[in-house]
Amino acid sequence: MGKTFAEKVLAQKAGLKQTTAGQIVTVKPDRLLTHDNTSAIAATFRKIGVARVADPSMNVIVLDHVTPAADETYATSHQATRAFVAEQGISAFYDIGEGICHQVLPEKGHAWPGAVIVGSDSHTPTAGAFGAFAAGIGRTEAAAVMATGEIWLRVPESLRVQLREMLPSRVSAKDVSLYLIGLLRADGADYCSVEFAGEAISAMSVGERMTLTNMSAEMGAKNAVVEPDEKTFAWLAGRVSQPFTPVFADADAAYTRIIELDASTLAPQVACPHTVDNVAPVTEVAGKRVDQVVIGTCTNGRLEDLRVAAEILRGKHIAQGVRLLVLPASRENLQAALAEGVITDLIAAGATLLNPGCGPCLGAHQGCMAPGETTLSTSNRNFKGRMGSKDATIYLGSPATAAATALTGVITDPREV
Amino acid sequence: MKATQITGRLWVLRDAEGNLYNDIDTDMIFHNRYLHITALAQMGQYTLDNLKGWEDFALRAQAGDLIMAGRNFGSGSSRQQAVDCFRALGIAAIIAESFGAIYKRNAINSGLPLIAFPELSKYGVRFQTGDTVTVNFVTGDVLRNSAEPFQAQPFSKVQLAIYEAGDLFEYGKTAES
Repeated sequence: MGKTFAEKVLAQKAGLKQTTAGQIVTVKPDRLLTHDNTSAIAATFRKIGVARVADPSMNVIVLDHVTPAADETYATSHQATRAFVAEQGISAFYDIGEGICHQVLPEKGHAWPGAVIVGSDSHTPTAGAFGAFAAGIGRTEAAAVMATGEIWLRVPESLRVQLREMLPSRVSAKDVSLYLIGLLRADGADYCSVEFAGEAISAMSVGERMTLTNMSAEMGAKNAVVEPDEKTFAWLAGRVSQPFTPVFADADAAYTRIIELDASTLAPQVACPHTVDNVAPVTEVAGKRVDQVVIGTCTNGRLEDLRVAAEILRGKHIAQGVRLLVLPASRENLQAALAEGVITDLIAAGATLLNPGCGPCLGAHQGCMAPGETTLSTSNRNFKGRMGSKDATIYLGSPATAAATALTGVITDPREV
Repeated sequence: MKATQITGRLWVLRDAEGNLYNDIDTDMIFHNRYLHITALAQMGQYTLDNLKGWEDFALRAQAGDLIMAGRNFGSGSSRQQAVDCFRALGIAAIIAESFGAIYKRNAINSGLPLIAFPELSKYGVRFQTGDTVTVNFVTGDVLRNSAEPFQAQPFSKVQLAIYEAGDLFEYGKTAES
Protein backbone atom coordinates (compact mmCIF):
# COMPACT_ATOMS: atom_id res chain seq x y z
CA MET A 1 0.00 0.00 0.00
CA GLY A 2 1.32 3.42 -0.93
CA LYS A 3 1.58 6.44 1.31
CA THR A 4 -0.18 9.80 1.43
CA PHE A 5 1.58 13.14 1.26
CA ALA A 6 1.27 13.61 5.03
CA GLU A 7 2.62 10.13 5.81
CA LYS A 8 5.61 10.66 3.52
CA VAL A 9 6.55 14.19 4.49
CA LEU A 10 6.30 13.48 8.22
CA ALA A 11 8.30 10.26 7.88
CA GLN A 12 11.02 12.16 6.07
CA LYS A 13 11.04 14.90 8.69
CA ALA A 14 11.01 12.50 11.65
CA GLY A 15 13.86 10.47 10.16
CA LEU A 16 11.68 7.37 9.91
CA LYS A 17 11.42 4.94 7.06
CA GLN A 18 7.68 5.33 7.00
CA THR A 19 4.75 6.50 9.06
CA THR A 20 1.07 5.60 9.10
CA ALA A 21 -1.93 7.78 9.85
CA GLY A 22 -2.56 7.87 13.58
CA GLN A 23 1.10 7.57 14.54
CA ILE A 24 2.62 10.24 16.77
CA VAL A 25 5.95 11.64 15.57
CA THR A 26 8.28 14.30 16.84
CA VAL A 27 9.73 16.64 14.23
CA LYS A 28 11.80 19.77 13.99
CA PRO A 29 9.68 22.12 11.90
CA ASP A 30 11.38 24.19 9.20
CA ARG A 31 9.47 27.30 10.15
CA LEU A 32 7.37 28.59 13.03
CA LEU A 33 5.02 31.38 11.94
CA THR A 34 3.60 33.82 14.49
CA HIS A 35 1.88 37.21 14.13
CA ASP A 36 0.54 39.87 16.49
CA ASN A 37 0.18 37.11 19.08
CA THR A 38 4.00 36.91 19.28
CA SER A 39 3.93 39.25 22.29
CA ALA A 40 1.71 36.81 24.21
CA ILE A 41 3.76 33.83 23.02
CA ALA A 42 6.95 35.60 24.08
CA ALA A 43 5.46 36.11 27.55
CA THR A 44 4.68 32.37 27.77
CA PHE A 45 8.14 31.56 26.39
CA ARG A 46 9.75 33.56 29.21
CA LYS A 47 7.77 31.59 31.80
CA ILE A 48 9.39 28.38 30.55
CA GLY A 49 12.66 29.74 31.83
CA VAL A 50 14.71 29.34 28.65
CA ALA A 51 16.69 32.43 27.71
CA ARG A 52 17.06 31.94 23.96
CA VAL A 53 14.84 30.54 21.24
CA ALA A 54 16.12 27.16 20.07
CA ASP A 55 16.77 28.31 16.52
CA PRO A 56 16.23 31.98 15.55
CA SER A 57 16.20 31.06 11.85
CA MET A 58 13.08 28.93 12.42
CA ASN A 59 10.99 31.92 13.49
CA VAL A 60 9.00 33.98 11.01
CA ILE A 61 7.12 36.86 12.61
CA VAL A 62 4.67 39.09 10.74
CA LEU A 63 2.65 41.92 12.27
CA ASP A 64 -0.63 41.83 10.35
CA HIS A 65 -3.72 41.43 12.53
CA VAL A 66 -4.29 44.94 13.80
CA THR A 67 -1.87 47.06 11.79
CA PRO A 68 -1.15 49.91 12.13
CA ALA A 69 -2.01 49.61 15.83
CA ALA A 70 -5.60 50.71 16.46
CA ASP A 71 -4.99 51.84 20.02
CA GLU A 72 -2.51 51.87 22.87
CA THR A 73 -3.10 48.22 23.82
CA TYR A 74 -2.24 46.99 20.34
CA ALA A 75 0.66 49.43 20.07
CA THR A 76 2.12 48.09 23.31
CA SER A 77 1.75 44.54 22.04
CA HIS A 78 3.55 45.39 18.79
CA GLN A 79 6.27 47.10 20.81
CA ALA A 80 6.78 43.94 22.89
CA THR A 81 7.07 41.88 19.70
CA ARG A 82 9.70 44.19 18.22
CA ALA A 83 11.68 44.03 21.46
CA PHE A 84 11.50 40.22 21.46
CA VAL A 85 12.68 40.08 17.83
CA ALA A 86 15.67 42.29 18.63
CA GLU A 87 16.52 40.41 21.82
CA GLN A 88 16.39 36.98 20.15
CA GLY A 89 18.15 37.99 16.93
CA ILE A 90 15.27 36.91 14.69
CA SER A 91 15.92 38.12 11.15
CA ALA A 92 12.66 37.03 9.49
CA PHE A 93 10.58 39.79 11.06
CA TYR A 94 8.12 41.70 8.89
CA ASP A 95 6.69 44.81 10.47
CA ILE A 96 3.35 46.48 9.65
CA GLY A 97 2.68 47.11 6.00
CA GLU A 98 4.34 43.98 4.57
CA GLY A 99 1.06 42.12 4.54
CA ILE A 100 -0.75 39.11 5.96
CA CYS A 101 1.46 36.43 7.47
CA HIS A 102 0.12 33.65 5.21
CA GLN A 103 1.00 35.71 2.14
CA VAL A 104 4.28 37.14 3.39
CA LEU A 105 5.58 33.71 4.51
CA PRO A 106 5.85 32.30 0.96
CA GLU A 107 6.68 35.65 -0.65
CA LYS A 108 9.76 35.95 1.53
CA GLY A 109 10.89 32.41 0.79
CA HIS A 110 9.74 30.62 3.95
CA ALA A 111 7.58 27.96 2.28
CA TRP A 112 8.72 25.28 -0.16
CA PRO A 113 7.74 21.80 -1.30
CA GLY A 114 8.37 19.25 1.44
CA ALA A 115 8.78 21.85 4.20
CA VAL A 116 7.07 21.37 7.57
CA ILE A 117 5.60 24.63 8.83
CA VAL A 118 3.64 25.25 12.00
CA GLY A 119 2.02 28.56 12.86
CA SER A 120 0.01 30.08 15.68
CA ASP A 121 -2.86 30.86 13.36
CA SER A 122 -5.62 28.59 12.11
CA HIS A 123 -5.05 29.55 8.48
CA THR A 124 -1.46 28.30 8.47
CA PRO A 125 -2.50 25.47 6.08
CA THR A 126 -2.40 28.13 3.33
CA ALA A 127 1.29 27.34 2.75
CA GLY A 128 0.26 23.85 1.60
CA ALA A 129 -0.36 25.47 -1.78
CA PHE A 130 3.41 25.17 -2.24
CA GLY A 131 3.58 21.48 -1.41
CA ALA A 132 4.47 22.10 2.23
CA PHE A 133 2.95 20.41 5.28
CA ALA A 134 1.57 23.42 7.15
CA ALA A 135 -0.63 23.27 10.25
CA GLY A 136 -2.01 25.67 12.83
CA ILE A 137 -1.12 25.36 16.51
CA GLY A 138 -1.93 27.34 19.66
CA ARG A 139 0.07 29.90 21.55
CA THR A 140 1.23 27.60 24.32
CA GLU A 141 2.54 25.18 21.77
CA ALA A 142 4.18 27.93 19.72
CA ALA A 143 6.06 28.98 22.86
CA ALA A 144 7.14 25.37 23.36
CA VAL A 145 8.37 25.14 19.75
CA MET A 146 10.33 28.35 20.26
CA ALA A 147 11.98 26.86 23.32
CA THR A 148 12.63 23.32 22.12
CA GLY A 149 12.64 23.61 18.34
CA GLU A 150 10.46 20.49 18.22
CA ILE A 151 6.81 19.51 18.09
CA TRP A 152 4.80 16.30 18.37
CA LEU A 153 2.37 15.70 15.54
CA ARG A 154 -0.18 13.00 14.95
CA VAL A 155 0.13 11.85 11.35
CA PRO A 156 -3.27 12.80 9.94
CA GLU A 157 -5.61 10.65 7.92
CA SER A 158 -5.95 11.98 4.38
CA LEU A 159 -8.81 12.99 2.18
CA ARG A 160 -8.36 13.58 -1.53
CA VAL A 161 -10.29 16.06 -3.64
CA GLN A 162 -10.09 15.34 -7.34
CA LEU A 163 -11.32 18.24 -9.45
CA ARG A 164 -11.62 17.26 -13.10
CA GLU A 165 -12.55 19.46 -16.08
CA MET A 166 -12.25 23.26 -16.01
CA LEU A 167 -14.06 25.90 -13.97
CA PRO A 168 -16.52 28.03 -15.94
CA SER A 169 -15.98 31.76 -16.37
CA ARG A 170 -16.41 33.79 -13.16
CA VAL A 171 -16.36 30.66 -11.03
CA SER A 172 -13.19 30.50 -8.94
CA ALA A 173 -11.20 28.59 -6.37
CA LYS A 174 -13.24 30.31 -3.66
CA ASP A 175 -16.42 28.83 -5.08
CA VAL A 176 -14.80 25.38 -5.10
CA SER A 177 -13.86 25.81 -1.43
CA LEU A 178 -17.29 27.02 -0.37
CA TYR A 179 -18.97 24.22 -2.29
CA LEU A 180 -16.73 21.63 -0.62
CA ILE A 181 -17.28 23.06 2.86
CA GLY A 182 -21.03 23.00 2.26
CA LEU A 183 -20.69 19.37 1.23
CA LEU A 184 -18.34 18.24 4.01
CA ARG A 185 -19.59 20.61 6.75
CA ALA A 186 -17.42 22.52 9.21
CA ASP A 187 -15.97 19.33 10.70
CA GLY A 188 -15.93 17.16 7.57
CA ALA A 189 -12.15 17.10 7.38
CA ASP A 190 -11.40 17.30 11.13
CA TYR A 191 -7.75 16.39 11.84
CA CYS A 192 -7.35 15.40 8.17
CA SER A 193 -4.79 16.24 5.55
CA VAL A 194 -6.63 17.36 2.41
CA GLU A 195 -4.93 16.74 -0.93
CA PHE A 196 -6.16 18.75 -3.91
CA ALA A 197 -5.53 17.40 -7.40
CA GLY A 198 -6.94 17.33 -10.92
CA GLU A 199 -7.12 19.36 -14.10
CA ALA A 200 -8.91 22.34 -12.60
CA ILE A 201 -6.26 22.59 -9.85
CA SER A 202 -3.41 22.37 -12.36
CA ALA A 203 -5.04 25.17 -14.33
CA MET A 204 -5.21 27.43 -11.26
CA SER A 205 -2.61 30.07 -10.50
CA VAL A 206 -0.53 29.63 -7.36
CA GLY A 207 -2.61 32.38 -5.75
CA GLU A 208 -5.87 30.56 -6.43
CA ARG A 209 -4.42 27.37 -4.96
CA MET A 210 -3.67 29.37 -1.82
CA THR A 211 -7.38 30.15 -1.58
CA LEU A 212 -8.13 26.41 -1.54
CA THR A 213 -5.60 25.52 1.13
CA ASN A 214 -6.54 28.60 3.17
CA MET A 215 -10.23 27.67 3.28
CA SER A 216 -9.50 24.06 4.23
CA ALA A 217 -9.28 25.28 7.82
CA GLU A 218 -13.04 25.87 7.65
CA MET A 219 -13.71 22.16 7.15
CA GLY A 220 -11.50 21.32 10.09
CA ALA A 221 -8.45 20.22 8.09
CA LYS A 222 -5.12 19.92 9.87
CA ASN A 223 -3.34 20.79 6.66
CA ALA A 224 -4.07 20.91 2.94
CA VAL A 225 -1.74 20.47 0.03
CA VAL A 226 -1.50 21.01 -3.70
CA GLU A 227 1.18 19.03 -5.47
CA PRO A 228 3.92 21.33 -6.68
CA ASP A 229 4.34 21.74 -10.45
CA GLU A 230 6.12 24.05 -12.90
CA LYS A 231 3.90 26.96 -11.79
CA THR A 232 4.94 26.41 -8.18
CA PHE A 233 8.63 26.21 -9.04
CA ALA A 234 8.42 29.35 -11.18
CA TRP A 235 6.70 31.21 -8.34
CA LEU A 236 9.29 30.10 -5.81
CA ALA A 237 12.30 30.86 -8.03
CA GLY A 238 14.31 33.72 -6.59
CA ARG A 239 12.47 33.47 -3.26
CA VAL A 240 13.60 30.18 -1.72
CA SER A 241 17.34 29.86 -1.36
CA GLN A 242 17.75 26.33 0.04
CA PRO A 243 17.45 23.18 -2.05
CA PHE A 244 14.29 21.15 -1.58
CA THR A 245 12.82 17.84 -2.62
CA PRO A 246 9.11 17.83 -3.47
CA VAL A 247 7.01 15.13 -1.80
CA PHE A 248 4.20 13.51 -3.78
CA ALA A 249 1.51 11.14 -2.56
CA ASP A 250 1.75 7.61 -3.96
CA ALA A 251 -0.87 6.69 -6.54
CA ASP A 252 -2.10 3.83 -4.34
CA ALA A 253 -2.14 5.73 -1.03
CA ALA A 254 -4.96 5.04 1.45
CA TYR A 255 -7.54 7.81 1.81
CA THR A 256 -10.43 7.98 4.26
CA ARG A 257 -12.44 9.58 1.48
CA ILE A 258 -12.00 10.58 -2.14
CA ILE A 259 -14.24 13.33 -3.45
CA GLU A 260 -14.53 13.70 -7.19
CA LEU A 261 -16.04 16.85 -8.59
CA ASP A 262 -16.68 18.03 -12.11
CA ALA A 263 -15.47 21.64 -11.99
CA SER A 264 -17.36 22.58 -15.13
CA THR A 265 -20.70 22.12 -13.35
CA LEU A 266 -19.94 24.46 -10.44
CA ALA A 267 -21.72 27.80 -9.93
CA PRO A 268 -20.63 30.73 -7.75
CA GLN A 269 -21.30 29.90 -4.09
CA VAL A 270 -22.09 32.02 -1.04
CA ALA A 271 -21.72 31.10 2.64
CA CYS A 272 -24.70 32.52 4.52
CA PRO A 273 -24.76 33.64 8.16
CA HIS A 274 -23.48 32.48 10.63
CA THR A 275 -21.39 29.44 9.68
CA VAL A 276 -19.04 28.84 6.76
CA ASP A 277 -20.78 25.56 5.92
CA ASN A 278 -24.16 27.25 5.44
CA VAL A 279 -23.54 27.39 1.71
CA ALA A 280 -25.92 28.12 -1.16
CA PRO A 281 -25.46 28.86 -4.87
CA VAL A 282 -25.38 32.63 -5.38
CA THR A 283 -28.63 32.39 -7.35
CA GLU A 284 -30.45 31.42 -4.15
CA VAL A 285 -29.33 34.46 -2.17
CA ALA A 286 -29.20 37.00 -4.99
CA GLY A 287 -31.06 40.20 -4.20
CA LYS A 288 -30.08 40.40 -0.53
CA ARG A 289 -29.15 44.02 0.25
CA VAL A 290 -25.67 44.71 1.65
CA ASP A 291 -24.10 47.72 3.37
CA GLN A 292 -20.48 46.77 2.87
CA VAL A 293 -18.32 44.66 0.59
CA VAL A 294 -14.81 43.54 1.55
CA ILE A 295 -12.32 42.35 -1.06
CA GLY A 296 -9.05 41.10 0.38
CA THR A 297 -7.67 39.05 3.32
CA CYS A 298 -5.46 35.95 3.27
CA THR A 299 -8.21 34.15 1.36
CA ASN A 300 -8.68 36.51 -1.59
CA GLY A 301 -6.43 39.55 -1.44
CA ARG A 302 -3.99 38.58 -4.18
CA LEU A 303 -3.34 40.20 -7.55
CA GLU A 304 -5.56 37.72 -9.42
CA ASP A 305 -8.42 38.49 -7.01
CA LEU A 306 -8.04 42.25 -7.37
CA ARG A 307 -7.83 41.85 -11.15
CA VAL A 308 -11.16 40.01 -11.27
CA ALA A 309 -12.79 42.74 -9.19
CA ALA A 310 -11.32 45.50 -11.35
CA GLU A 311 -12.48 43.78 -14.50
CA ILE A 312 -16.07 43.91 -13.23
CA LEU A 313 -15.89 47.44 -11.79
CA ARG A 314 -13.71 49.17 -14.41
CA GLY A 315 -15.37 52.32 -15.74
CA LYS A 316 -18.37 51.83 -13.46
CA HIS A 317 -19.27 52.93 -9.96
CA ILE A 318 -20.40 50.98 -6.92
CA ALA A 319 -24.03 51.35 -5.85
CA GLN A 320 -25.07 54.25 -3.68
CA GLY A 321 -25.11 53.34 0.01
CA VAL A 322 -22.53 50.56 -0.34
CA ARG A 323 -19.04 50.78 1.14
CA LEU A 324 -16.39 48.83 -0.74
CA LEU A 325 -13.21 48.07 1.21
CA VAL A 326 -10.21 46.73 -0.71
CA LEU A 327 -7.17 45.43 1.10
CA PRO A 328 -4.37 43.68 -0.79
CA ALA A 329 -2.85 40.68 0.97
CA SER A 330 0.67 42.10 0.86
CA ARG A 331 2.85 45.00 -0.18
CA GLU A 332 3.99 42.93 -3.16
CA ASN A 333 0.39 42.42 -4.29
CA LEU A 334 -0.41 46.08 -3.72
CA GLN A 335 2.58 47.16 -5.80
CA ALA A 336 1.71 44.76 -8.61
CA ALA A 337 -1.92 45.90 -8.60
CA LEU A 338 -0.78 49.53 -8.65
CA ALA A 339 1.54 48.88 -11.57
CA GLU A 340 -1.27 47.25 -13.55
CA GLY A 341 -3.71 50.05 -12.88
CA VAL A 342 -6.01 47.69 -10.98
CA ILE A 343 -5.98 49.84 -7.85
CA THR A 344 -6.67 53.00 -9.85
CA ASP A 345 -9.69 51.32 -11.44
CA LEU A 346 -11.04 50.13 -8.09
CA ILE A 347 -10.61 53.51 -6.44
CA ALA A 348 -12.24 55.26 -9.39
CA ALA A 349 -15.17 52.87 -8.98
CA GLY A 350 -15.61 54.04 -5.39
CA ALA A 351 -13.46 51.61 -3.39
CA THR A 352 -11.79 52.59 -0.12
CA LEU A 353 -8.22 51.26 -0.12
CA LEU A 354 -6.85 49.84 3.13
CA ASN A 355 -3.26 48.92 3.87
CA PRO A 356 -2.13 45.30 3.40
CA GLY A 357 -3.11 43.33 6.50
CA CYS A 358 -6.02 41.47 8.05
CA GLY A 359 -8.18 44.60 8.12
CA PRO A 360 -11.80 44.16 9.21
CA CYS A 361 -11.81 40.35 8.89
CA LEU A 362 -11.45 39.73 12.60
CA GLY A 363 -13.50 42.68 13.69
CA ALA A 364 -10.84 44.64 15.52
CA HIS A 365 -10.66 47.72 13.29
CA GLN A 366 -11.00 49.14 9.77
CA GLY A 367 -14.59 48.46 8.87
CA CYS A 368 -16.51 46.98 11.80
CA MET A 369 -20.26 46.82 11.31
CA ALA A 370 -23.11 48.50 13.19
CA PRO A 371 -26.12 46.48 14.43
CA GLY A 372 -28.36 45.37 11.58
CA GLU A 373 -25.72 45.81 8.89
CA THR A 374 -24.68 43.24 6.30
CA THR A 375 -21.28 42.64 4.69
CA LEU A 376 -20.39 40.40 1.80
CA SER A 377 -16.73 39.52 2.21
CA THR A 378 -14.13 37.48 0.36
CA SER A 379 -12.66 36.40 3.72
CA ASN A 380 -12.96 32.96 5.30
CA ARG A 381 -15.20 33.32 8.38
CA ASN A 382 -18.72 34.59 8.88
CA PHE A 383 -19.13 33.71 12.55
CA LYS A 384 -21.71 35.78 14.36
CA GLY A 385 -20.23 39.04 15.54
CA ARG A 386 -16.88 38.47 13.85
CA MET A 387 -16.82 41.83 12.05
CA GLY A 388 -18.21 44.13 14.70
CA SER A 389 -21.76 44.02 16.07
CA LYS A 390 -23.24 40.69 17.15
CA ASP A 391 -26.37 41.84 15.36
CA ALA A 392 -24.66 42.20 12.01
CA THR A 393 -24.45 39.51 9.35
CA ILE A 394 -21.66 38.32 7.07
CA TYR A 395 -21.92 36.50 3.75
CA LEU A 396 -18.81 35.02 2.13
CA GLY A 397 -18.18 34.86 -1.59
CA SER A 398 -15.59 35.10 -4.33
CA PRO A 399 -13.92 38.32 -5.52
CA ALA A 400 -16.16 38.24 -8.62
CA THR A 401 -19.32 37.88 -6.52
CA ALA A 402 -18.07 40.63 -4.21
CA ALA A 403 -17.39 43.04 -7.07
CA ALA A 404 -20.75 42.31 -8.71
CA THR A 405 -22.45 42.84 -5.35
CA ALA A 406 -20.67 46.16 -4.79
CA LEU A 407 -21.83 47.28 -8.21
CA THR A 408 -25.51 46.61 -7.57
CA GLY A 409 -25.81 46.91 -3.78
CA VAL A 410 -27.43 43.50 -3.52
CA ILE A 411 -25.87 40.04 -3.62
CA THR A 412 -25.37 39.46 -7.34
CA ASP A 413 -24.40 36.56 -9.56
CA PRO A 414 -21.11 37.65 -11.15
CA ARG A 415 -22.05 35.86 -14.37
CA GLU A 416 -24.79 38.43 -14.86
CA VAL A 417 -22.81 41.66 -14.79
CA MET B 1 0.27 13.15 39.78
CA LYS B 2 -3.15 14.56 38.95
CA ALA B 3 -6.43 12.73 39.41
CA THR B 4 -7.40 10.72 36.36
CA GLN B 5 -10.98 10.37 37.51
CA ILE B 6 -13.10 13.40 38.31
CA THR B 7 -16.66 14.01 39.44
CA GLY B 8 -18.53 17.26 39.00
CA ARG B 9 -21.70 19.10 38.20
CA LEU B 10 -22.61 19.09 34.50
CA TRP B 11 -23.62 21.92 32.18
CA VAL B 12 -25.25 20.64 28.99
CA LEU B 13 -24.90 23.27 26.27
CA ARG B 14 -28.11 23.11 24.26
CA ASP B 15 -29.40 25.47 21.58
CA ALA B 16 -32.81 27.14 21.41
CA GLU B 17 -34.36 23.92 20.03
CA GLY B 18 -32.99 21.91 22.94
CA ASN B 19 -30.40 20.04 20.87
CA LEU B 20 -26.78 19.70 21.90
CA TYR B 21 -24.96 22.69 20.47
CA ASN B 22 -22.80 21.72 17.45
CA ASP B 23 -19.98 23.79 15.95
CA ILE B 24 -19.43 26.04 18.95
CA ASP B 25 -16.64 28.13 17.45
CA THR B 26 -13.86 30.04 19.13
CA ASP B 27 -15.65 33.35 18.59
CA MET B 28 -18.63 32.02 20.56
CA ILE B 29 -16.33 30.77 23.31
CA PHE B 30 -14.06 33.79 23.56
CA HIS B 31 -15.00 36.61 21.23
CA ASN B 32 -12.36 38.38 19.19
CA ARG B 33 -13.13 41.68 20.88
CA TYR B 34 -11.29 40.36 23.96
CA LEU B 35 -8.25 39.01 22.14
CA HIS B 36 -5.98 41.65 23.65
CA ILE B 37 -6.45 39.94 27.03
CA THR B 38 -3.57 37.62 27.85
CA ALA B 39 -3.84 37.34 31.67
CA LEU B 40 -5.58 34.11 32.67
CA ALA B 41 -7.34 35.74 35.63
CA GLN B 42 -9.15 38.17 33.34
CA MET B 43 -10.37 35.59 30.83
CA GLY B 44 -12.98 33.65 32.79
CA GLN B 45 -15.60 36.42 32.83
CA TYR B 46 -15.98 36.40 29.02
CA THR B 47 -16.38 32.62 28.60
CA LEU B 48 -19.21 31.75 26.16
CA ASP B 49 -20.52 35.31 26.23
CA ASN B 50 -21.16 35.16 22.47
CA LEU B 51 -23.05 31.85 22.61
CA LYS B 52 -26.77 32.45 22.30
CA GLY B 53 -28.56 31.52 25.51
CA TRP B 54 -25.32 31.07 27.46
CA GLU B 55 -24.08 34.66 27.71
CA ASP B 56 -24.09 34.56 31.53
CA PHE B 57 -22.30 31.21 31.81
CA ALA B 58 -19.27 32.71 33.54
CA LEU B 59 -21.47 33.94 36.40
CA ARG B 60 -23.16 30.57 36.83
CA ALA B 61 -20.24 28.21 36.50
CA GLN B 62 -18.23 27.03 39.49
CA ALA B 63 -14.79 25.51 39.76
CA GLY B 64 -14.99 21.75 39.26
CA ASP B 65 -17.96 21.88 36.86
CA LEU B 66 -18.04 19.87 33.62
CA ILE B 67 -19.36 20.96 30.24
CA MET B 68 -21.08 18.89 27.55
CA ALA B 69 -21.60 19.92 23.91
CA GLY B 70 -22.14 18.40 20.46
CA ARG B 71 -19.96 18.07 17.38
CA ASN B 72 -16.87 20.10 16.50
CA PHE B 73 -16.53 22.02 19.76
CA GLY B 74 -13.88 24.75 19.43
CA SER B 75 -13.82 25.01 15.66
CA GLY B 76 -12.32 28.12 14.12
CA SER B 77 -9.35 30.13 15.26
CA SER B 78 -6.26 28.94 17.10
CA ARG B 79 -6.74 31.44 19.93
CA GLN B 80 -5.41 30.16 23.23
CA GLN B 81 -7.96 32.14 25.23
CA ALA B 82 -10.75 29.83 24.04
CA VAL B 83 -9.09 27.08 26.10
CA ASP B 84 -7.68 29.24 28.86
CA CYS B 85 -11.01 30.90 29.71
CA PHE B 86 -12.30 27.50 30.90
CA ARG B 87 -9.14 26.93 32.89
CA ALA B 88 -9.66 30.36 34.44
CA LEU B 89 -13.13 29.28 35.60
CA GLY B 90 -11.77 25.98 36.91
CA ILE B 91 -13.82 23.86 34.49
CA ALA B 92 -12.76 20.27 35.18
CA ALA B 93 -13.45 18.78 31.73
CA ILE B 94 -15.29 19.31 28.47
CA ILE B 95 -17.21 16.37 27.02
CA ALA B 96 -18.22 16.63 23.36
CA GLU B 97 -19.01 14.44 20.39
CA SER B 98 -15.90 15.84 18.68
CA PHE B 99 -13.53 18.80 18.85
CA GLY B 100 -11.90 21.21 16.42
CA ALA B 101 -8.41 19.97 15.55
CA ILE B 102 -6.37 22.93 16.77
CA TYR B 103 -8.62 23.34 19.80
CA LYS B 104 -7.99 19.77 20.82
CA ARG B 105 -4.22 20.22 20.67
CA ASN B 106 -4.41 23.50 22.56
CA ALA B 107 -6.44 21.92 25.32
CA ILE B 108 -4.22 18.84 25.55
CA ASN B 109 -1.12 21.00 25.71
CA SER B 110 -2.66 23.23 28.37
CA GLY B 111 -3.80 20.30 30.51
CA LEU B 112 -7.53 20.96 30.05
CA PRO B 113 -9.25 17.55 29.87
CA LEU B 114 -11.29 17.02 26.72
CA ILE B 115 -13.40 13.89 26.48
CA ALA B 116 -14.42 12.77 23.01
CA PHE B 117 -17.76 10.96 23.27
CA PRO B 118 -18.52 9.84 19.68
CA GLU B 119 -21.94 8.40 20.52
CA LEU B 120 -23.19 11.55 22.17
CA SER B 121 -25.64 12.25 19.34
CA LYS B 122 -27.41 9.09 20.52
CA TYR B 123 -27.04 9.47 24.28
CA GLY B 124 -26.94 13.26 24.70
CA VAL B 125 -30.67 13.41 25.53
CA ARG B 126 -30.01 11.43 28.70
CA PHE B 127 -27.84 14.15 30.21
CA GLN B 128 -29.21 17.24 31.92
CA THR B 129 -27.65 20.34 33.38
CA GLY B 130 -27.17 19.72 37.08
CA ASP B 131 -26.38 16.00 36.68
CA THR B 132 -23.44 14.70 38.65
CA VAL B 133 -21.03 13.12 36.21
CA THR B 134 -17.91 11.07 36.78
CA VAL B 135 -15.33 10.72 34.03
CA ASN B 136 -12.34 8.40 33.97
CA PHE B 137 -9.67 9.70 31.59
CA VAL B 138 -7.80 6.40 31.44
CA THR B 139 -10.75 4.14 30.62
CA GLY B 140 -13.15 6.62 29.01
CA ASP B 141 -15.90 5.57 31.41
CA VAL B 142 -18.59 8.18 31.98
CA LEU B 143 -21.03 7.71 34.86
CA ARG B 144 -24.20 9.77 35.15
CA ASN B 145 -25.66 10.36 38.63
CA SER B 146 -23.70 7.41 40.08
CA ALA B 147 -25.95 5.02 38.20
CA GLU B 148 -25.94 5.22 34.42
CA PRO B 149 -22.70 4.18 32.66
CA PHE B 150 -21.56 5.30 29.20
CA GLN B 151 -18.42 4.74 27.18
CA ALA B 152 -16.42 7.66 25.83
CA GLN B 153 -12.90 7.60 24.37
CA PRO B 154 -10.01 7.26 26.80
CA PHE B 155 -7.19 9.77 26.64
CA SER B 156 -4.46 9.00 24.12
CA LYS B 157 -1.07 8.16 25.57
CA VAL B 158 0.43 11.58 24.91
CA GLN B 159 -2.72 13.34 26.15
CA LEU B 160 -2.58 11.43 29.42
CA ALA B 161 1.14 12.05 29.86
CA ILE B 162 0.78 15.81 29.30
CA TYR B 163 -2.27 15.96 31.57
CA GLU B 164 -0.52 14.10 34.36
CA ALA B 165 2.52 16.36 34.09
CA GLY B 166 0.27 19.45 34.22
CA ASP B 167 0.85 20.93 30.80
CA LEU B 168 3.15 20.73 27.81
CA PHE B 169 5.95 22.62 29.58
CA GLU B 170 5.95 20.40 32.66
CA TYR B 171 5.71 17.38 30.37
CA GLY B 172 8.76 18.64 28.49
CA LYS B 173 10.71 18.79 31.73
CA THR B 174 9.78 15.23 32.70
CA ALA B 175 10.68 13.96 29.25
CA GLU B 176 14.14 15.50 29.49
CA SER B 177 14.96 14.41 33.03
